[in-house]
Amino acid sequence: MASTSYLEGIRQGIWEEMERDPSVFCLGEDIGIYGGAFKVTDGFIERFGPERVVDTPIAESAIVGAAFGASLTGLRPVAEFQFMDFIGCAFNQITNMLAKAHYRWGAPAPVVIRGPSGGGVHGGPFHSQNPEMYFVHTPGLKVVCPGTAYDAKGLIKSAIRDNNPVIFFEHKFLYRRIKEDLPAEDYTVPIGKARVARQGRDLSIITYAAMLHVALEAAEILAKEGIELEVVDLRTLLPLDREAIATTVRHTNKVIILHEDTRTGGIAGEVAALINEEAFDDLDGPIVRITSRDTPVPFSPPLEDYFLPKVADVIREARRLKSY
Amino acid sequence: MAKKSSTSKKAGANGRRPLKSAPKSAARNGNLSGERRYTIPDYRLESFDCAVRQVASDDGVRYEVTGDLSAPVPPIRESKSLSPRQCLEIYRWMLLNRKMEQALENLYKQGKVVGGVYFGLGQEACSCASAYALCPEDWLAPMIRNQGSLLVRGFSARDVMMQYMAKAGSPTFGKDASSHFGDQQKRNVCAPISTLGDLIPVMAGVALGARLQGRNIAALTYIGDGGQSTGVTYEGLNFAAVQKLGLVLIVENNLWGYSTPSDMQFRVKDLAERAIAYGIPGAIVDGTDACQVYDVVHDACERARRGEGPTLIEAKMMRMKGHAIHDAAEYVPKPLFEYWRKRDPIARLEKFLLERKWLTAKQNEELIAGVDGELEADREFAVNSPMPDPEKTPQNVYCDGCHEIKPKYGVPKAGSGKGSGKPKQGEAAVHLR
Repeated sequence: MASTSYLEGIRQGIWEEMERDPSVFCLGEDIGIYGGAFKVTDGFIERFGPERVVDTPIAESAIVGAAFGASLTGLRPVAEFQFMDFIGCAFNQITNMLAKAHYRWGAPAPVVIRGPSGGGVHGGPFHSQNPEMYFVHTPGLKVVCPGTAYDAKGLIKSAIRDNNPVIFFEHKFLYRRIKEDLPAEDYTVPIGKARVARQGRDLSIITYAAMLHVALEAAEILAKEGIELEVVDLRTLLPLDREAIATTVRHTNKVIILHEDTRTGGIAGEVAALINEEAFDDLDGPIVRITSRDTPVPFSPPLEDYFLPKVADVIREARRLKSY
Repeated sequence: MAKKSSTSKKAGANGRRPLKSAPKSAARNGNLSGERRYTIPDYRLESFDCAVRQVASDDGVRYEVTGDLSAPVPPIRESKSLSPRQCLEIYRWMLLNRKMEQALENLYKQGKVVGGVYFGLGQEACSCASAYALCPEDWLAPMIRNQGSLLVRGFSARDVMMQYMAKAGSPTFGKDASSHFGDQQKRNVCAPISTLGDLIPVMAGVALGARLQGRNIAALTYIGDGGQSTGVTYEGLNFAAVQKLGLVLIVENNLWGYSTPSDMQFRVKDLAERAIAYGIPGAIVDGTDACQVYDVVHDACERARRGEGPTLIEAKMMRMKGHAIHDAAEYVPKPLFEYWRKRDPIARLEKFLLERKWLTAKQNEELIAGVDGELEADREFAVNSPMPDPEKTPQNVYCDGCHEIKPKYGVPKAGSGKGSGKPKQGEAAVHLR
């Protein structure tokens, strides 16, 4: 029986790293006795004590700044953002203090900034956003967006062990909706490597996070009509796995890029440019984007459903692209 | 340091009335005394009681200073802890600080500097004496005008010069300018960024990290009267206060934030009063008096090392040049320059040392010649060193194992060890499913 949820994978990953390495500690809002708004750090304060599970004031710049300061003394802080929508409050610390530290003055910043992002749970404009691209545009950061429980656990461990600032976007729609059996032994998933989540010959769909599951569901349906989708899960947005993207395009010659983030300035544009650079001659059709609309994330269910990409969108666009 | 007192009715040393909370609401909250009093110690030997305001006339809008600028120059306050030798060392650092910046100005005029030059003229006592109070295991995070504190912390004038000239051998290998460099490995110096206040939570975090490793250290940084207006200043200092972290924050009130006078940045009389609102000790010093600065920073560092939490120190002085070399500071009313020029931190400390015969005129000449010689050698080296290789531009964006990361102070506490690792809460308690 599949037993471990996406959230539990993240929880286990942080827990195991804290057991393994005493220099790992957590800080954030309501993460101690309360266990965090989504209960990712539930039980941590009993095990690791208030020294290593630090409840902070509601002060995102202070959380990130203090995490960086602690990292300067050789620790590996894991800073929780209650919602990634609030990451703008710490934008300057992340993009100017942490991201540039190693380049400017040789100070590594082994800080993980993690928290829930994404829609589909009717959280409204301030509890549903996908702010990853603000950070993908910042050299010096790593941006990770897992789509499975296995990857969530393996990637949070890699993020904690990484010597660079890693922004770790946990998709809150997936937290308790997906489960799988995870290996009992210690494992990591490398940052910067995409994964072929389903092999197919007709066209490629490049995606990440919750949209991975939309793509896989569409692929099941399309397979019944003879269209074989290759589904590539990026897993990391910065640095992008250029080779994996080029490889799938060379294999299928047709590509859809699907993401829940809004359209303008989303990673689809970057991936399309990259395909242009790496595999232009291999294309047999236009690069297709399926994304959310260029609006704030609306609250009411009919509005949010309209806003988000759906399985039907993928099926429609795949049929259209197949005909080229 | 600041004391909270419910009985003292004495005015502060500077003659100011202690602050009062609203008596009626305090009484309603069951505080029988009906009022609370706080004092902020003020170590200055004079008080500067002037205001700068905008005045419109037919000639346009300009700044005008009001208040008495005729007070005699105060002496240097005798330090309670500095030895004559230490006073001399601080004096030498201050001289090196000033003369290095004079050399930078000359290099700029010779076209050898890339970009602008920032000065700490008139603020050398604050930069040098504060950094002098640190122990090797403590941390420093300087601001743009604290180039003197970098010298005290073990960098050379050559490092600063090469930063300004963007040389390959600069501490940032030409990647950043001015005082924007640090040393995470040996000197425990955090490089500043250009935005203001961001070093405050970072230094709080440094103290947090050390404490997690079983050590209480002092983590010193600065903010200006302009920079303290930022939100991150509040966040960082409040975080340090709540967590009782060994942050030592010096508010360098140099009266000007670029071209904006401090009277347009805040309404409190003294920025040290903000300490009351954070629930931490505050103090006021004359930022042009190295002995005062040292004594108060020394006490604050000792407090930090005892694990008693942060201290807010307001150092009063004036920025004696423009924001940077391009800025002639013509907006500053001339009488202010005249007032503060008489309070020059180096001239007064020199007089203090000579009067006490801790320094003879001949020794002073030798000391100055030594500083000049050191700077000339550094200038020569810096000017003749190469520019960076453009091929190195993409290097070191990431740390790919080039640094070993290990706790600086010892093995962190492992935690209480209780708990099974299983979640204790049910799913019903979860926000947004």
